[in-house]
Amino acid sequence: MNKSSSKSVNIIEIKDFSLCFPSKTEGMKPVLNKLNLSIKRGSIFGVIGNSGCGKTMTAMSIASLLPKEASIQGGDILFNGQSLLSMDPHSRRLLLGDKIGVIFQEPMSALDPLMRIEAALGEVLISHGVKDKNEIRSKIMEMLKVVGFKNPDAILNRYPHQLSGGQRQRILIAGAALLKPSLLICDEPTSALDTVTTISILELLRSMSISMGITMLFISHDLNVVGCFCDYVAVMKDGAIIEKGITSRVLRSPQTPYTLSLLRKSRLDNVLSNDFFLKPNYSETPLLEVSNMSSGYDGRLFSRQKHANVIHDISFKMYPKEVLGVIGGSGCGKTTLAKTICGLLTPTAGTMLLNDVIIGVVFQDPASCLNPSHNILWHLLEPLKAKKIKLSKLETRELLIATMKEVNLKPSYLLRYPHQLSGGQRQRVAIAMCLILKPKLIIADEPFSSLDASSAANVLSLLSSINHKYNTAILLISHNLHIVSKVASRVMVMDSGTIVESGQLSEVFASPSSQAAKDLLEAERKLNSNPNALS
Amino acid sequence: MADRKAKLSTSKVNVKLTSDLGRISFVVGACMLGFVFLVFLISVFYTPYNPNMTDASNILKAPSFEHLFGTDHLGRDVLSRIMSASKYTIFVSFAGIAIALVLGMLMGLTAGYWGGIYDKAIMLLSNSIMCFPGILLALVAVAVFGSSMLNVVFALGIVFSPSFARVLRTGTIAISNREYILHAKILKVNPFRIMVVHILPNLLTALIPAVVIGLANMTLFESAMSFLGLGVQPPAASYGKMLSDAQSYVTTSPWLIVFPAFMLILYILGLYFISEGVRICTSRGGTIE
Repeated sequence: MNKSSSKSVNIIEIKDFSLCFPSKTEGMKPVLNKLNLSIKRGSIFGVIGNSGCGKTMTAMSIASLLPKEASIQGGDILFNGQSLLSMDPHSRRLLLGDKIGVIFQEPMSALDPLMRIEAALGEVLISHGVKDKNEIRSKIMEMLKVVGFKNPDAILNRYPHQLSGGQRQRILIAGAALLKPSLLICDEPTSALDTVTTISILELLRSMSISMGITMLFISHDLNVVGCFCDYVAVMKDGAIIEKGITSRVLRSPQTPYTLSLLRKSRLDNVLSNDFFLKPNYSETPLLEVSNMSSGYDGRLFSRQKHANVIHDISFKMYPKEVLGVIGGSGCGKTTLAKTICGLLTPTAGTMLLNDVIIGVVFQDPASCLNPSHNILWHLLEPLKAKKIKLSKLETRELLIATMKEVNLKPSYLLRYPHQLSGGQRQRVAIAMCLILKPKLIIADEPFSSLDASSAANVLSLLSSINHKYNTAILLISHNLHIVSKVASRVMVMDSGTIVESGQLSEVFASPSSQAAKDLLEAERKLNSNPNALS
Repeated sequence: MADRKAKLSTSKVNVKLTSDLGRISFVVGACMLGFVFLVFLISVFYTPYNPNMTDASNILKAPSFEHLFGTDHLGRDVLSRIMSASKYTIFVSFAGIAIALVLGMLMGLTAGYWGGIYDKAIMLLSNSIMCFPGILLALVAVAVFGSSMLNVVFALGIVFSPSFARVLRTGTIAISNREYILHAKILKVNPFRIMVVHILPNLLTALIPAVVIGLANMTLFESAMSFLGLGVQPPAASYGKMLSDAQSYVTTSPWLIVFPAFMLILYILGLYFISEGVRICTSRGGTIE
């Protein structure tokens, strides 16, 4: 691990580093508080913690990418023994461009949509002084092979929108690795990807770390990912590190109650029990009957094909009280299915029988599920207005307060605006908007994927209590197999627009018959079975 | 260490400066506009002389205590005419913008929301309005329908509507795939309610500067049309009309040009300052989580 014992053992040393942001209410708000951290050369170092604990700001401080308003209150950051903070900005930028690479969370927006892959990657080399065109091309081809593209020639001429999320993340990794950095900062690189892709990206990063000797700082809120990937891990809370050490030690026998609670929440131990969701009765009349349904988006005006079907020939039934899981890799048509059921898309073939059921929908992204121009009160009244439910003032008031209590929010939050709430709170408001109409079926499209573990656990237990109280059926769309395996009674596996397998959860998970299901389960097994992970 | 602190404090100053600049710009603009409105309000109740009263014995008199801003070639008091002209200028610009906004909203919101062939048709229409010089179109409309003030207002309203339609259409397209709009669609909220109550409030930050700039441009257009003799009809006064009447006397009686031009500049500059202030104050990036 210690390749150069002549230099210092640690590639990064952060000493008593404090960082503040000006805030409207409290003057200077501390974000990092006397942070101490050292990363060994060649190791993979994970940082975990809930959102807002300062993980990303730590990474940005090292990469000198802090926003303008940030104000450093004290301490120092040493890179290879040199103080980054006392360096002048120009030489610091030269050093960092070569030695530190950064990979961001959102592979969609990190690539210029107007640049072909070759130009985008070439830009990195050109700006670092490589002039020969052939040399640039050969270097890029080599790197594309390293990150796992079998036909780099074809990839070179593509635009970002022609690549999938996982492929784009590989391109970004290739871009960061082209300069052979000694430190690679990965800020939630896998949280927008499905399990199968996540595993392949993690395997790629690990092999690169070993073959090229790259040190990695890996930031994540997913404890499973950190557990199977990182050598060392640090737990952050309120801008300080409260526990650090070898991953297996920290995750197996945590020393602080906070780490323990993080672990519990990530395994959902405290919220999941056997009767967490109701067991359906399959002899009742189904709530929803879908037979041979196809659906998709309208074709272009003059194109011959009228409809581009995304999902084909879907048939299934949903019973009252049932929790039905839908799993599959990204792009398999899960969201199109949800949109068709709730009426945003009309089926192009087949039938869908909804037995006069009110449907509620919870979407993936808490950032855009609420209208930023209106307060929470408006959001809760809007469904009543849309369904023309007339209530007296007193009844409305009682209903609002009851609904807010149901989702564990204070009634005073009714007057707040969405930007004043956290991600988890927004997701709960979205659930309250469904709940106020007392739906018989809730469609939840990846409701957990952008929440950290403890918010996800809260939302899950909220869904459970709704299921119990109102006998609401839930169609749970997720790529998180762990959650689906704990809550669903039946599960459907989707692949390239069709249902390839469905049945009782235990049967499908024990003996999958389709390749898609096998791949998903294999990825999930890898994520959990690594010796580093919590057993 | 000291170096770093110095650098940080300058960056803080920069952030503060931009927001202060926005605020100052807004206040200065509001003061200028406020002065014009004050003149307008006073003119409703009081003008020193009847603005349309000619006086053959007082032709082209320089500013004096009797006539503070002097008199014109028909012996009319320039101060009184400036005061009454503010009425027309303000009315034409605000009424014209109101018409342009209603038309622009109708076109932009629906085109962005429904998309497809309807969007293409609306955009074709608005682009064809935009590709003619606006003043030419307005002149043609007034020439065909007669040059009353209401016709000027309608003509300017139609000419200005595509610019609002474009702003609103782009914003609507960007927002209509957000999940809160999908949610409203699932609830089967009336499409027009979605457009006006759900989408429009989110576009105000883009719309307000466009409206204020539109007001300023509208005033300039109105002045230009009056200058060409197709706007407000004599004997009523507007700034453009006064400037056009004064052009033969520029060298001999400069007060005829200076005072109306000063008011016009005050009004338009005030509007620009306000729009700049609004833009700076609303477009400062997101907050740190």
